[in-house]
Amino acid sequence: MFFYYLKLGAVNLKRNPIITALMVITLAVGVAAAMTTLTILRGMSGDPIPHKSDRLFYVQIDSGPIGRESASGDPDPQLTYADTMNLWRAAKAPRQTPLMGTSGTISPERKDLAPFLTTGLAVGSDFFTMFDVPMLEGQAWTGAQDKAGADVVVITRALRNRMFGENQSAVGKRLTLSQRELTIVGVLDTWNPLPKFYRLVGSNRYGNHEDYFVPIEYAVRVESGIEGQVSCTSRPDPGFKGFLDSDCTWLQYWVELGRADDRQGYLDYLGAYVDEQKKLDRLPRPINNRVSDVMAWMERQGVIDNDTVVATWLAFAFLGVCLVNTVGLLLAKFSARPGEIGVRRALGASRSEIFSQFLTEAGVIGLVGAGLGIALTIAALAYVRQYAQDIALLTEMDLVMLFATIAISLTAALGAGLLPTWRACQVLPAAQLKSQ
Amino acid sequence: MIRMNKLSKVYRTHMIETHALRGIEIDVQPGEFVAVTGPSGSGKTTFLNIAGLLEEHTGGDYFLDGVNVTGLNDNQRSRLRNEKLGFIFQGFNLIPDLNLFDNVDVPLRYRGFNAAERRRRIEEALAQVGLSARIKHYPSELSGGQQQRVAIARALAGSPKVLLADEPTGNLDTQMARGVMELLEEINARGTTILMVTHDPELAARAARNVHIVDGLVTDFVRREAASLVAVA
Amino acid sequence: MEVRPILSTLFRNKTAPLLIAAQVALTLAIVANSLYIIRERLASAARPSGIDEPNIGWINLSPIGEVADPKTLQDIDLNAIRTIPGVKSAAWVNMMPLTQSGWSSGGMSLKEGDDNSGLGSAHYFSPDSLIDTLGVKLIAGRDFTPDDVFEHDPDQGSALPKSVIITKALAEALKPGETELGKLVGQRLFNAAEQPVTIIGIIERLQTPWSNAGSDGEQSYILPIRYVTGSFQYAVRSEPGQLERVMKEASETLAKLRSDRVLNSQRTFAEIRASRYANELLMAGLLIAVTVFLLLITASGIVGLSSLWVNQRRKQIGVRRALGARRIDVIRYFLVENMLITTGGVLIGLVLTLALNQVLVRQMEVPRLPIEYIGFGMVIMWLLGVASVLGPALRAARVPPAVATRTV
Repeated sequence: MFFYYLKLGAVNLKRNPIITALMVITLAVGVAAAMTTLTILRGMSGDPIPHKSDRLFYVQIDSGPIGRESASGDPDPQLTYADTMNLWRAAKAPRQTPLMGTSGTISPERKDLAPFLTTGLAVGSDFFTMFDVPMLEGQAWTGAQDKAGADVVVITRALRNRMFGENQSAVGKRLTLSQRELTIVGVLDTWNPLPKFYRLVGSNRYGNHEDYFVPIEYAVRVESGIEGQVSCTSRPDPGFKGFLDSDCTWLQYWVELGRADDRQGYLDYLGAYVDEQKKLDRLPRPINNRVSDVMAWMERQGVIDNDTVVATWLAFAFLGVCLVNTVGLLLAKFSARPGEIGVRRALGASRSEIFSQFLTEAGVIGLVGAGLGIALTIAALAYVRQYAQDIALLTEMDLVMLFATIAISLTAALGAGLLPTWRACQVLPAAQLKSQ
Repeated sequence: MIRMNKLSKVYRTHMIETHALRGIEIDVQPGEFVAVTGPSGSGKTTFLNIAGLLEEHTGGDYFLDGVNVTGLNDNQRSRLRNEKLGFIFQGFNLIPDLNLFDNVDVPLRYRGFNAAERRRRIEEALAQVGLSARIKHYPSELSGGQQQRVAIARALAGSPKVLLADEPTGNLDTQMARGVMELLEEINARGTTILMVTHDPELAARAARNVHIVDGLVTDFVRREAASLVAVA
Repeated sequence: MEVRPILSTLFRNKTAPLLIAAQVALTLAIVANSLYIIRERLASAARPSGIDEPNIGWINLSPIGEVADPKTLQDIDLNAIRTIPGVKSAAWVNMMPLTQSGWSSGGMSLKEGDDNSGLGSAHYFSPDSLIDTLGVKLIAGRDFTPDDVFEHDPDQGSALPKSVIITKALAEALKPGETELGKLVGQRLFNAAEQPVTIIGIIERLQTPWSNAGSDGEQSYILPIRYVTGSFQYAVRSEPGQLERVMKEASETLAKLRSDRVLNSQRTFAEIRASRYANELLMAGLLIAVTVFLLLITASGIVGLSSLWVNQRRKQIGVRRALGARRIDVIRYFLVENMLITTGGVLIGLVLTLALNQVLVRQMEVPRLPIEYIGFGMVIMWLLGVASVLGPALRAARVPPAVATRTV
């Protein structure tokens, strides 16, 4: 019976072609608007590392001088060099890594490639395990190389392809970075987590993933340029050493704990650390440390763009209008054929059979609308991709969103079909036959 | 009151010409009660539509209350319909979403009477058909006979010169039909000209004058005794 | 007018009018809020930066390794740029407006020890005249002379500039309510540099690299500092209409000078502006698309339902015509009916609009909707309603009166 209704539904699409087309377009446009914004919003607010986001913690220490506290009372988002290195060397968590943005000029050996400037990250070797970074070949540098600030580098697959060509092994080869020779120890497989949660401060949050990774001690040793946010409450002494010793904050710091419950323990440790530093005349402010897991840190950093939330609200209100409109048009379409209903009822169709038939017909419209809606969503995302480079990576539509689109269209069409269908069922068999 | 000279009506579609009326000659005097009869497809309804200014004739002349309506534009015809004619339809044609008061009010609004005048006429018309008590009711709450009475009240409220009735009892049972017919006779007795289309010989027999239309031509019987002959024809 | 009977008809057939009213209400809520956001975004993107935008470009080079004598190289670069035909002026500059990355300082004040004043400002510096090169307008005091310029080498120690030029917006923030800003010239400004500096000039406008909404997007100051590092960033101002060629020649010239540098970026200010406001314009564009679609959809809904209505009431229309309604009376009936429904929708929509705006204000820091946008939205909805119902109403007017006597 269902397939009979399906066939009837398909045939009936051709009736009142203008109204049918209007319904399909209305539904498709509404679905496309909602899905486009939802895709972007989901990209922004999604959990980028679901299985361990509750065990990865971002660390903040309120390190500035008394009298220049922020209005919100929040500590600076980044750490000073001194605190970062103290925490890192103490290594109280199972895993931890400092993180700083940097950049350098790569001079390829190939003569056909001009030197180019690119961005990188200076991190500890735990970084790769902590954030589940997939390795195509080789591996992270060792703990010893960490401490020594060895001349080693991990590069992305994209950089390898650019430098050495696709499917060419790069491990063991040399990379000339800002006129220094480094040994490539590992190549990342494609890794573009969104949002770029590991580096929310001083960098594009939805793209521009770094091209290379070096040990942080190396970056400090060669005084490599800092990319990102540097905040100082007083002018540092001259030279790089002066900068390292200053109260400027420019490093980010992550720890991985064994269990989510270990957070309090780490917070206690931080408190003890600050107390100890106070004895050395550092960290004058009252203890105001923060240890935030991934989702809390993204929330704190306002990762979700207000515009996108507004757009999503408006898009769903828009879908609402489209639905109301579809209800109206279906009502028009169904009520234009009371005769058919009367005849079917007279021929023995029960009310519930009429209900199924007309609801299936609404569903067919929903399916066609979903198809068109998906096409429109893809087109709209392509448009956004072209015009908003910084969120381009968020515009990838995955299978989940594809099914969500189909589900939303169908639900929308069926929901919109309920009232008109119910009204159609109210037609009395006799009344209609008589007037015909 | 209604005078038609060589009046004809031709329907033209792109290929076919249908002669619905061919040279009707008729003169209805004020206060007459005329029944128009004829078999299906004879042109009865076309005749009524033209007489009621619902359609335009294609040939000849038609004088309504002394006014030659040939060539009048749509607005002038609407105005004439509103002022000089009252309609009673087979299907009553009350507006289901309006109560009796508002239904009777419809033509009066187009006439442009003020609110007090309209109210007076509505109440009077409904009293005349005996439905004053139902003034706030909706048509669906009334029997067929009552609905037709409302339709009559609506037709009378504008004090028309001519009442046009199209099978006024066609949808009613005998009992109700008789009541409606008596009401029409009463109205006629008070001086309103009535032109009634019907296929019911018994009804036609009660009219003072019968007009029989066959194939778009008129046969006129003025005598009441001729009613039975009409029925046979 | 026959408002009361129409209303009573509507109350007896609620579904379709309610659907239209609901659609009108939602549409009004979305359109009014969208229009406001669109206008706000476009206005934000249209704010002037204060510089001679059509003729300015920015070239940025990065050294591959250490640069031995950056100071000399800066001079060589600038001389090379300045000799290109069509170049009006060129300057080393630490940052540019609208580029979203740069230097800023906090705790600005005219009083000593007021480090927590909460007043921040973008912090430009250049050894050259930015008034000449960026074409900003001096409204009080004077520009720097070469004597004002101090040299700063981050590896050696701090320079101690003694003078500063501030923007009008910063001046107003420093001394709220001051009508004669010229009086600030000669006063000392704290926390703009290592030591207090004297305000020697006020410029009308120079947006910050972040160009935030409101006056803090224009709170900037300029210090006369020659920054001796391997950072090579040059603002170039061309004669009118020659920017593109000048920029191309300048980057080629600089590339030829030395091979140990990479051209990091080379952008005209128009490009900088486009990239700064890409999101605003995208948002405005999407909202415009949504608004247009929404109006079309709502219009199509009204046309659809009104047509259905006209079809359902053909008989009734015929009867009305038979009873003396002129064509215009029929049209008027449908127009009035539509007006009543739209008005109902608009009234519900008014509440919805304010509610939606309330949500946006509370959660998204969107400013409160000005009343005229609601009014404008209402007018749009009425016009839309009338325009949409006109077609079906005209079709209704063509229903012949003879329909009244047909039996089916």
